[in-house]
Amino acid sequence: MTVSTAPQTTSPPTTPTGSKPLARGRRRRPGLMHLPLILAAVITAFPFYAMIVISLQPGQPIDLPGSLFPAVISYDSYQEVLGNSRIFQWAFNSAVYSIASVVLVLVFASMAGYAFAKKTFFGREVIFWSFVAMLMVPYHLTLIPQFIIVSEMGGLNTLWGLTVPTLANVQAMFLMRQFIRDIPDELIEAARIDGAGEFRIYWSIILPQTKPIMATLGTFVFLWHWNDFLWPLVAQRTPDMYVLTVGLNSMQQQETVLATTMAGAVIIFVPTLLIFICLQRFFVRGVVMSGLK
Amino acid sequence: MAIAARNRAGAPAPVRRRWWRSDKAVIAYVFILPYVILFLTFKIAPAIFGVGLSFTNWRPVGGADFIGFDNFTRLFSDPIFWGALRVTLVYAIIAIPMSITVSLFMALLCDRTLRGMGIYRSIFFLPVVTSSVIAGIIWVWIFGQQGPLNWLTGLVGVGPLGWLQSEILVLPALSMVSAWSNFGYNMLILLAGMLAIPRDYYEAAELDGANWFKRFRHVTIPLLKPALFFVLILEIIKSFQVFDTIYVMTGGGPFRSSYTLTYMIYDQGFGYFDFGYASAVGVVLLVITLAVSLVQRWLFDKEKKK
Repeated sequence: MTVSTAPQTTSPPTTPTGSKPLARGRRRRPGLMHLPLILAAVITAFPFYAMIVISLQPGQPIDLPGSLFPAVISYDSYQEVLGNSRIFQWAFNSAVYSIASVVLVLVFASMAGYAFAKKTFFGREVIFWSFVAMLMVPYHLTLIPQFIIVSEMGGLNTLWGLTVPTLANVQAMFLMRQFIRDIPDELIEAARIDGAGEFRIYWSIILPQTKPIMATLGTFVFLWHWNDFLWPLVAQRTPDMYVLTVGLNSMQQQETVLATTMAGAVIIFVPTLLIFICLQRFFVRGVVMSGLK
Repeated sequence: MAIAARNRAGAPAPVRRRWWRSDKAVIAYVFILPYVILFLTFKIAPAIFGVGLSFTNWRPVGGADFIGFDNFTRLFSDPIFWGALRVTLVYAIIAIPMSITVSLFMALLCDRTLRGMGIYRSIFFLPVVTSSVIAGIIWVWIFGQQGPLNWLTGLVGVGPLGWLQSEILVLPALSMVSAWSNFGYNMLILLAGMLAIPRDYYEAAELDGANWFKRFRHVTIPLLKPALFFVLILEIIKSFQVFDTIYVMTGGGPFRSSYTLTYMIYDQGFGYFDFGYASAVGVVLLVITLAVSLVQRWLFDKEKKK
């Protein structure tokens, strides 16, 4: 796996006009090729459209296809959701869970990745591969023991108890190690000759070099946690400690008005959408990188 | 430990430096320490503990006794377990081909230079970043009695169908949701694989008179095998671990017809608080996972030798 070459390999999907000047369907008229794509895009985007449209028509029966093109819209269901202070608490919990995880996973993974990539020490291979082997263990088998361990530590229903167990991220450490391995040794040697200590080398040489992978990994880790459901469902026992996904699910179970639930869904979806629009290229790179393993 | 590392590296004994300035072993342990602690506590210990639990009758309240293989004998005579195993396999058989077909088809559609392709690809990727709870809630409405899907089938005079209320339709319906959620991810991997295929191959095939389908069958597919294999592995893992959408959309029903092994672990563990029994299901899942990855390895090695 050569992560350092990934940016070149991945650039074509983001810049469609890049490396392939000859279109495969060049004999056909290009306008015709848009048809299946538009159809597929409409089908893919329909659930999102429906979610928004329904949330804007509270108190009205939904009849198709008329309801999909509403003449009158109302923001009442948004007021209702936002008037419920719990959603702000859930958003706060989700934000802490996601942001703390991103920062800590990136720091710990880059430290461990650096040691595994550039240091020789007793037990290196054994430790590294026993970490990687844990990828084979289904998460659901470890769910109950993890619950018991966190519960014994008094971490149930707390934000630290929610966050800390998820920091042992194998993929992050693995990718970091692969990436740091490609940083030239000369760079590290030069810093050492200049008198830099090991922490200094890590902080001023290694970390800046890992920026591309930091961005990619960071967006992924954020999303995993923002959308995570099963662990918060198990670990957070009272409504004020829910994260957004668990809260939305509880809304769906209790709420009889579909429009209100949909408004909640839209509110949770907006941050994801914004992050996706801003950081799309990092997602794409991350996906393709995982495919090169 | 430091000595072992030094011998390995074969370096001459260095001038004595304070440990945090040393480039040798001690510092490496400091760097991996946070991960080692996290791993031991939250991955390795739970994995061993999980297997151990399956031999006990652990419940959150009350003690735990070692009961040998009792959980497993109970499991193998439990129709719920066999039902869950069947549902998991049937779901995999429906969801994996559906998802891969859609992904491959969409990758072929997107593998060309067109104005606005970036926007199309962004739209196709959007479901990937969407929370499964949001997806579940919207799709419950789409599959609903008065939902758009039944409106569509109504146009051709079929239905309304109770997609999520039917024991036959519930797994295909859930597979559709998973295809919608995953195809953008798989599509990107396949696209990267397609872009790596040299254009000359297509031109040569075209000169030899191969039509579009023949070029697809004899150039694209064979050269795309590694990417397809990777997507297949991803899909197998995802289909075995599906939980969120089932929890949100069906709760395992109707009549446990979407009650998978992972759902059973959750249900026995946090519905009935029978931690020992739930862990026994987890061990079965572990065995299945290991078996599948052994088969994968074997197939992969066979492919390499060719």
